[in-house]
Amino acid sequence: MTGSDRAHSDRSLEETIAEGSGAPGFDRDIPADRAFACDDCGRRWYYDRRRCPDCGRSSADASTVPLETGEVVATTTVETTPPDVRAPNHLALARFDEVQLIAQAAAGDLSPGDAVRFEGSHRLRESRDRTDPRLVAVDDA
Amino acid sequence: MGSNATDSTGVRVAGVGMTPFESDSGRSLSDLAAAAAERALDDAAVDPAAVDALHVGNALAEALDESAGLANALAAALGLDGASADRIENTSATGASAFHRGVETLRSGVESSEADTVLVVGAEKMSAGDTRDVTEAISRLVHRREYAQGITLPSFGGLAAGAYLDRYDAPREALAAVAAKNHGNAVDNPVAQFRKPIDVEDALDSPVVAAPLRLYDCCPMSDGAAAVVLTRAGRDDSEDRTGPRVAGIASATGTHAVAERPDPLSIDSVRTAGERVFDRAGVRPDDVDVACIHDAFTVLELIELEELGFYETGTAWEATLDGDTALDGELPVNPGGGLKARGHPLGATGLSQIVELVWQLRGDLPENRRVDGAETAFAINVAGFGNNSVCTVLRA
Repeated sequence: MTGSDRAHSDRSLEETIAEGSGAPGFDRDIPADRAFACDDCGRRWYYDRRRCPDCGRSSADASTVPLETGEVVATTTVETTPPDVRAPNHLALARFDEVQLIAQAAAGDLSPGDAVRFEGSHRLRESRDRTDPRLVAVDDA
Repeated sequence: MGSNATDSTGVRVAGVGMTPFESDSGRSLSDLAAAAAERALDDAAVDPAAVDALHVGNALAEALDESAGLANALAAALGLDGASADRIENTSATGASAFHRGVETLRSGVESSEADTVLVVGAEKMSAGDTRDVTEAISRLVHRREYAQGITLPSFGGLAAGAYLDRYDAPREALAAVAAKNHGNAVDNPVAQFRKPIDVEDALDSPVVAAPLRLYDCCPMSDGAAAVVLTRAGRDDSEDRTGPRVAGIASATGTHAVAERPDPLSIDSVRTAGERVFDRAGVRPDDVDVACIHDAFTVLELIELEELGFYETGTAWEATLDGDTALDGELPVNPGGGLKARGHPLGATGLSQIVELVWQLRGDLPENRRVDGAETAFAINVAGFGNNSVCTVLRA
């Protein structure tokens, strides 16, 4: 189809108008211990995106799945934090199979290679009215 | 110099100017921008009325309740009658993105078939907010799921620094050596925010910000402005156009969420923008005589030098300890002090890199600041912790 043909097709106008109010968005808030999962190909991702990176299916209605056991890749403890965030803020970069994420750790005792899982219910930012779990070493859980 | 060097943009930097970078300048954002712009126009011997387009880089004016519509206010203040004007924002790479836009304006000629003079100004007044407000404003540029965890840019720096030292079995002193080098380079730079030399011990003893990074591993918050005047390079030498040539410019985005990078020590946007700019300019990393590298955190200078191909992966720390990146080394890196010591007013930083490199290429600097005989210069300005990178190659 050429550009000019397409401009005259019956479908061109509605195809250019995105969903309005009330439509499901790709940037849904889900708990820290859950990842998105593509309902077609099963690919998982943590940081919300518009489409499945593998098959391209819209993520608006993607399922979410719990993250079970991961492995610490790197850690840091941040002393200078935003006004509504605890100081020090213990953080870990952790890999859960194909999903990799950075999350708050319950304590500053994690090291690369440690097995971790999410546990507990904490306000990660005081200004936000929601709670999420933090990473803990599997042995301590 | 490689034999394949090209002049891919046809643009020259006709003049440069900047204000000192300071913790608190006591001047308004507009005043800082105008002061740098006038210096650049004077340096280029260009009348304000001859400017065809103005591009203004600024990241935080609205977030810090300073002002809105900065480009239009500046055009009027400078007397740029009828010039087109806009404002560019790309977080910490705002300055380089504004420079990129200026180069593209001249290349495309979209503003006017006659357009041949462009003014690019980058300015930031980070003292307009208190430290926590600015930290908060900057932390908003991370992915929202990262934001929910309270993650800030130094958080990424701490994670990457820990991973770097761990994987390459590098000593903590290697990071401190980057800080000591860049602070040393700033001592004789009159526009630098910090002009006091520090040694490795000072850096190792400073307070922890995001372990293992300490205060001296992190760039400051700054006020300041930098500006350049760009012109089309003449088609032949008979035309009265002088100034270093923009041999290549390129930018690239990478992952937004830092954790999605398969390797925490790999930054795709840096690698991609670097490959593109070297290809466009027809030079190799070996051809570069002097470089300004985005050292928002000491570890970033090392990672970027490796991602750009200046050093093999995992070896930039040894090169730094060996003095290769010192002012008198094989590849002088951040001769003006870098973000670390010159300062990092977000909108101005990328342009201050260009100003420093133009000074180097024109031979303007005193002997103790100069990279002798520099002909090819490189700059990289990075947004966020690698969300977007802008690379430039200049040739004398």
